[in-house]
Amino acid sequence: MMSKGLLAVDSNDSTLPAANLRRRTFLAGAGAAMASAALPISAAAQTKTFSGRKLVYVSWGGVYQDSQKLAYCAPFAAETGARVIQDGPMNEAKVRTMVGAGSPEWDVCDVTDTFLFNGVTNNLFEKIDYQIVQKNKLAPDYAQDYGVGNCVWSYNVCYSTKAFSNSNGPKTWADLFDLKRFPGKRMFRNRVYATLEIALLADGVTADKLYPLDVDRALRKLDTIRDEITWWNTPSQSQQFITDGAVTCGVIQNGRAFDAARKGASIAIEWDQNLQSLDYLVVLRGSKDVEAAMHLLNRSIQEDAQARFVNATAYAPVNPGAFDYVDKPLQPWLPTQPEHAKLGITMNAMWWNSQLESLNERWNKWRLG
Amino acid sequence: MLGLPALAFVAGVFGIPVLLFLGKAFTDPSPGVQNFKLIASDTLYVRVLWNTVVVSGATTFFALLLGYPFAYTLANTSPRIRRLLIFVVLVPFWTSLLVRAFSWTVLLQPQGLINAMLVGIGFVHKPIELMFNRTGLLIGMVQMQLPFVVFPLYSVMTTIDPAYVRAASGLGASPVRSFWKIYFPLSMPGVLTGGLLVFVTSLGYFITPALLGGLRDFMIAQLIHDQVADIGIWGVPAALSILLLAGTFALFGLAKAAGVRTK
Repeated sequence: MMSKGLLAVDSNDSTLPAANLRRRTFLAGAGAAMASAALPISAAAQTKTFSGRKLVYVSWGGVYQDSQKLAYCAPFAAETGARVIQDGPMNEAKVRTMVGAGSPEWDVCDVTDTFLFNGVTNNLFEKIDYQIVQKNKLAPDYAQDYGVGNCVWSYNVCYSTKAFSNSNGPKTWADLFDLKRFPGKRMFRNRVYATLEIALLADGVTADKLYPLDVDRALRKLDTIRDEITWWNTPSQSQQFITDGAVTCGVIQNGRAFDAARKGASIAIEWDQNLQSLDYLVVLRGSKDVEAAMHLLNRSIQEDAQARFVNATAYAPVNPGAFDYVDKPLQPWLPTQPEHAKLGITMNAMWWNSQLESLNERWNKWRLG
Repeated sequence: MLGLPALAFVAGVFGIPVLLFLGKAFTDPSPGVQNFKLIASDTLYVRVLWNTVVVSGATTFFALLLGYPFAYTLANTSPRIRRLLIFVVLVPFWTSLLVRAFSWTVLLQPQGLINAMLVGIGFVHKPIELMFNRTGLLIGMVQMQLPFVVFPLYSVMTTIDPAYVRAASGLGASPVRSFWKIYFPLSMPGVLTGGLLVFVTSLGYFITPALLGGLRDFMIAQLIHDQVADIGIWGVPAALSILLLAGTFALFGLAKAAGVRTK
């Protein structure tokens, strides 16, 4: 459920698995696969380490996967002689079925943080070999036993600079619940994940006491502004609402805010208590070439690879060293930029995974009101 | 005979997996009917099912209300106008659901075209809320479903011999009376087919409710999707699918019985 949602990949938003969109991302993936399969393996590459070996790389399509192909897979293939075939879009039900059947067609997958822990519980992934993957390249939170961070994104307070003059807008989650000082409709994401955290932080819960979440308290807090909330279901809706003036402030993802600003929207974001989440790269259990897959993961977290991916997508790097190579105009919009990282809170995906079913039920009941 | 290979193909790659999925209603997480018991006892499922039926019913009603006069015009106009009208119905039909939902957002939002017009002519003082509620949901769904009533109605209406209505008028019936006594009953098969198509397809909608409906307007297909794709449970969504499928078959059975009667 915590699928990609920044610049390129609406189609992966799980609230919208429109058949036609799925097909489009699938075709994009298939096209990419053909393109990479068609790359001639040079004579020199024949002698390289993984010459003749093959990995299937699965992600969310669109610019997101294209950038992974460009930043991670292509250099890896060129340097090792391995062939990396793109496939997708990523589908959690498919992963469960494939691994359950014993011989997955996919090797490396890009997964959401909650699915990482779900997969660990259900024994879907190979343990990361930190003999191969350089742990010291990663911020410590991002090197998990069964997954290596791919990129980081955040939920931020945002406001329209037309509705509130610059620097007079809401600055904190609590401000979003203050209808007197900050009038107008505010937007939230129609999803239980992160919304409960936002409500609790707004209600004065400190970051260190956030988990386990006090669900009743969070929903009571949301009740106080329920009628003033406009809910976005797809990330592009969030951009549209703030650009059109349908809302004055609310919750947005950092990459979406960057994209809206780049396209001329009057938008500002704040970093206080920015709520961070990340995507992981995993190797499916039963993969036919775990060793090559681990080397591909390691290639993905190198500074140059991370920076190239970040510059193309506006997601934030998991390797702090990559900032030396990240475009300067992009840096103020990224949650792992050191100043922002200090203010940020990483959502506890492990806790969420254990509660997903019951919290979705609570949330749906609250929605029906 | 020629259809056999295709039939075998569909049965193999579509039918069997669907049956395997539906079977999970009785086996996952443990054998028995506990998934159905859970659905019946949990207010969430009952309310979402009810939502689905109400929204589908209302969509069917309004689609017929708008589609009937449209189909009538289609059946009783010059070929040139008819071509134009068919084009008008088909263009949105061929447009992606998502694009249509976003287009409605542009029209219905507080600063949108419709509200600007209503405020401009002084009909309302301030913009009214036309979306992210039941109103917006129904506007969107009715528009998307219109072709499904227009075409069945039109095809039935073209087979109605105008001589019947003329005869009724000749015998002294007023236009209103000859419509209700003669024309409308003859068009009933179209109403039934169109209405059924709209109702049944509406049951499975979930993009439009997500994009145009309010917080409360969520439907059964959303719930099924979320449970399989996001949470990774199979039993309850399979049981919900069986209920949806059984309801659909029951409706077809009823419609067939009704269809036999109208003939």
